[in-house]
Amino acid sequence: MHFVTFILKNLTRRPTRTALTVLGLAVSVGSMIALLGISENFRSSMSDTFEKRGVDLVGVASGAADQLSSEVDEAIVDRVRAMPEVAGIDAALVELSEMTLREPRNENDTPPSSQVLVQAWLPDNFGYDDLEIRAGRKLSAEDAGQHRCMVGYKFAENNNKGVGDTITLLRTKFTIVGVFKSFNVYENGCIITLLKEYQELSGRKRKVTGFSLRVKKSAANPDEDVETVRQKILALADSDGKKFRVTVERPEKYLNDSAHLKIAKAMAWIVSLVALFIGVISMLNTMAMSVLERTQEIGILRAVGWPRGRIIRMVLGEAVFLGVAAALVGAVGAVVTTHLLALSPKVNGFIEGGIAPWVVLQGFAITIIIGLIGGAYPAFRAARLLPTEAIRHD
Amino acid sequence: MIDGPANHLLFASNVGKTYPDGAVHALNGVTLGVHEAEHVAITGPSGCGKSTLLNLLGVLDRPDSGEVYFRGEALSTRRDLDRFRAQQIGFVFQSFFLLPTLTAKENVQVPMFEGPPRSARERAKKADELLELVGMAKRANHRPMQLSVGERQRIALARALANDPALLLADEPTGNLDSENAVRVLDLLTTLQKERRLALLVVTHSTEVAERADRVVRMKDGKVLDDGTTVSPHQKKAMAHG
Repeated sequence: MHFVTFILKNLTRRPTRTALTVLGLAVSVGSMIALLGISENFRSSMSDTFEKRGVDLVGVASGAADQLSSEVDEAIVDRVRAMPEVAGIDAALVELSEMTLREPRNENDTPPSSQVLVQAWLPDNFGYDDLEIRAGRKLSAEDAGQHRCMVGYKFAENNNKGVGDTITLLRTKFTIVGVFKSFNVYENGCIITLLKEYQELSGRKRKVTGFSLRVKKSAANPDEDVETVRQKILALADSDGKKFRVTVERPEKYLNDSAHLKIAKAMAWIVSLVALFIGVISMLNTMAMSVLERTQEIGILRAVGWPRGRIIRMVLGEAVFLGVAAALVGAVGAVVTTHLLALSPKVNGFIEGGIAPWVVLQGFAITIIIGLIGGAYPAFRAARLLPTEAIRHD
Repeated sequence: MIDGPANHLLFASNVGKTYPDGAVHALNGVTLGVHEAEHVAITGPSGCGKSTLLNLLGVLDRPDSGEVYFRGEALSTRRDLDRFRAQQIGFVFQSFFLLPTLTAKENVQVPMFEGPPRSARERAKKADELLELVGMAKRANHRPMQLSVGERQRIALARALANDPALLLADEPTGNLDSENAVRVLDLLTTLQKERRLALLVVTHSTEVAERADRVVRMKDGKVLDDGTTVSPHQKKAMAHG
């Protein structure tokens, strides 16, 4: 018999209690893995988008918490585009807009409205290049003034819309000319339309929420080249000689500094910590009960020569096994939950199914630590039991 | 006259034990020696300190006064008493104290974790040998609840022998057995004691158990009334009967 076998046999003594403890802890750990996984997916999706599109720099308004609350003068986009070191620039006005999917049936009818993420792009944005067109076509400069748009395939599925259908945005009817699939989950749930007409409709003429650009880099010093362009952009001034109120950063730094990503991560951690605290209490309760029930047996183990250290290892081993089992169940539950959520029409344009392996590993590590914390007090209590206690019960 | 610690396997010198409230002297200056391969029975009325003495001799508890020696070495100076207990002393209890989740074979292996280094395979082989020795080989994979009380005590005896101890301490080993099983277990215990040249110290109320001992020690009120070193076989029988 191995020591591990002995530990596992202790856990099978009360299978229902073991199963319930694993389940309770799995809910805690699964919640943590799911929340942190969603938060990480959000970040990695953004990061992947920048990477796949070859973005070297991202610009938003100085002090803006996120792109939705950013507003930058479009003049800077023209100035940056004119720089010889710039290989390409994407500019967008991104906002949450009220949308209705059908026309009023009569004068008293108010069609239901909902919010949708709208990305108003320049017709020559390089972002169009990697969109996979599933139906219709891409937007082009010829669509200017025609109130036309493209929709992500998730949006199309959720709202049962296709090429030729119309959507009302900002009280204006837009005709869908294409359905696309992007590698960015958020774009799949959004509407893309042309910048200029959307600026006019939304009353934000010559304003964009941000821009991203590719830099012509030398093989020798690519980072230096990017930094040079960054400094040049920061030094740009408007026609009044005032510097543009803009922050330009490398994509990673932009994401790290992004307030909404930080808030999402902080929220995920706060909820996770509450769940984990409940997990620790659950583990503590189970192990304390288990030790209490086995007072006599632990005394006998001490009587036959088991030192305190082995008793501690035994109880902590049981707690760690419970933790690992809970982490397995929780991780599977979290992955399944995020996949199911990703299928839900309410959130499938915002949540990506699946969880990054390192988030799962992090969940495992934290669960083992929970096991050790929750098992520590019962373990030391068990180790303090005197063998004579057991014999006195004889 | 009792010799000193050097001539005994186990020697308790003037040991005393007071319960935490300080009111009751469980043991009061007890001196007792056990030789190698000697079979000693301790008898006396309930509450006379038999089990307390057994705990001190088995290093399960420490005396408040006096000293316990093993092969002449004062045990109070040892820091590895758990390992010492695992390797030198086997215990047999009235209620067997087998672990319910383990099979008979696994129960026998429990003390081996702290015995001489053995692989899992070697531990299993040793357990098989011991179960064979106590006639329980066919019940190796049964759990305690699937065994009769007599069988459980035989498994407990096999467990006590797991690390080939020099000393076996038995506290009322037949106390929970019917007469038929009691005789079987006693036969086994005395046979093993002789064959393996074990020192066997048995605490008992049973005259049948005490009669089998080489020497009977009578206790009362935390003291040794008679340690049986100077009695004839006839007197020993009389002592066994209290």
